[in-house]
Amino acid sequence: MRTKGSARDFWARLQSIDRRWIYLVVWLVVMVPLIFPFRIRPKATPPVEKLFEFIDAMPQEKALVLSIDYGPDTQAELQPMLVALLRHAFATHHKVGVLAMVLTGLGLGENALSQVASEFNARAATHDDSIVNGEDYVFWGWNTPYITVMLGMGENISKVFPVDYYGAKTESLPLMRHLKNYADVGILVSLASSSFPQAWINLAQTQFGVKLGCGVTAVSAADFYPYLNSGQFSGMLGGMKGAAEYEQLVEEGMAKAGENWRLRARGTEAMSSQTAAHLAIILFIIIGNIAFFANRRRKL
Amino acid sequence: MNLATDPWVWLAAILTLAIFSFLYRENPFYRFAEHLYVGLANGYAITIYWHQVLVPSLFTPVARNPNIATKVWLIAIGIIGALYFTRFIPRVSWLVRIPIAIVLGYWSGASLPRAVDAEIIQQLRATVVTRAHLAHWDTALWAILILIGVVATISYFFFSAERKGALKPISYVGIIFIMVGFGASFGYTVMARISLFIGRLQFLLGDWLGLIK
Repeated sequence: MRTKGSARDFWARLQSIDRRWIYLVVWLVVMVPLIFPFRIRPKATPPVEKLFEFIDAMPQEKALVLSIDYGPDTQAELQPMLVALLRHAFATHHKVGVLAMVLTGLGLGENALSQVASEFNARAATHDDSIVNGEDYVFWGWNTPYITVMLGMGENISKVFPVDYYGAKTESLPLMRHLKNYADVGILVSLASSSFPQAWINLAQTQFGVKLGCGVTAVSAADFYPYLNSGQFSGMLGGMKGAAEYEQLVEEGMAKAGENWRLRARGTEAMSSQTAAHLAIILFIIIGNIAFFANRRRKL
Repeated sequence: MNLATDPWVWLAAILTLAIFSFLYRENPFYRFAEHLYVGLANGYAITIYWHQVLVPSLFTPVARNPNIATKVWLIAIGIIGALYFTRFIPRVSWLVRIPIAIVLGYWSGASLPRAVDAEIIQQLRATVVTRAHLAHWDTALWAILILIGVVATISYFFFSAERKGALKPISYVGIIFIMVGFGASFGYTVMARISLFIGRLQFLLGDWLGLIK
């Protein structure tokens, strides 16, 4: 009888547990696998595979345009996508144009471009192998309002961005001779923490027919699946897991091409922590439900 | 352990910990970091707007463009934009409606026709089950499931008739689809929040403390 009573007390106490204990458990569950990781290689899901294959098969004369539609608040999820996409584009010798729709994304774009360019340049044997600003990529920077930018890029990109992020005249850059407007763009990928991908569909795709892909935060991923199903997006990366899947595909693709560089992949590194945290939360939900029903039965 | 030597990394780490201290309870360190972030973000935005919008698009053309008509046009646009600040003067605050009306008119005109095509027509087209879908059992299954889901969910939000007869079971199916949608959103939200936390811990344990290689 005493045991039964104390069990009931346990479930009652569990329902009113101080939330700070839960924070502490989550902190530990996330932290320990980061220091002592267990290897997880996420298998690419069809939306991620589609985007990878699209860029892989893109004609050389077509450019990849990346729109940084996020700020530092969501960089944990989206920055690994930007880095992986840049690696993929440079490894497949595609020209890249980068712009930011969110002001605070400018610094993130600069960081990613200089990081990936230096990774390639450190291993480059000839000038053709190296990644040069203005020749292999262009960082247009930011402009406003977004409607004018999205519509204007369909006519003349240099008019929308007269100078690039570094202050150079856009028209004078060698890359811009072959990158006039959306007709020269193979695919535009919006990496976003908001509804910018929708705006790209509405304005750039509906008007100019440009192919689109997106990399979005996990919170908003479910909202964008209908556009993937309708074919308005040619592929999609959802959250940090999507980033990790893309990193895997890029690593495998580069290894096949003999470039087994083992570059740092922040998305993949995080997968052991993510898995442990998800298991902990599933456990919390199960325990919480048991406690709820145990206490309800007691009240009845 | 390989501690960072960059003072900016230390500053970022201390501010991150100050923000995390809110998890224990509200405190002055958290409030300081929060206010600093808001102030910095606004200061950054104002600076960029000044240097990348106002100077190249308004001040420089007004000062250097020899065409008088262009100058007048730009000054007029600048004055209309400045009417946003009348918000702070109660007697003439109604003038703020002029720039708001222009912006609303432009944005609605530019967005609405395209949104109808992208958000309604294209999405409706995606719910139609075609012969191509029926070629394989899996594509056929998904296409039919999407069609049922769309019809049932819309039925649930059909409030012009009492929910009885055929509408009752169909809208009930709609609830199931809505719940599945909520479940997917919740799962993704958990993943997102954990990801953001992982990102900060990668910074604290890696860039700051050097515990992750």
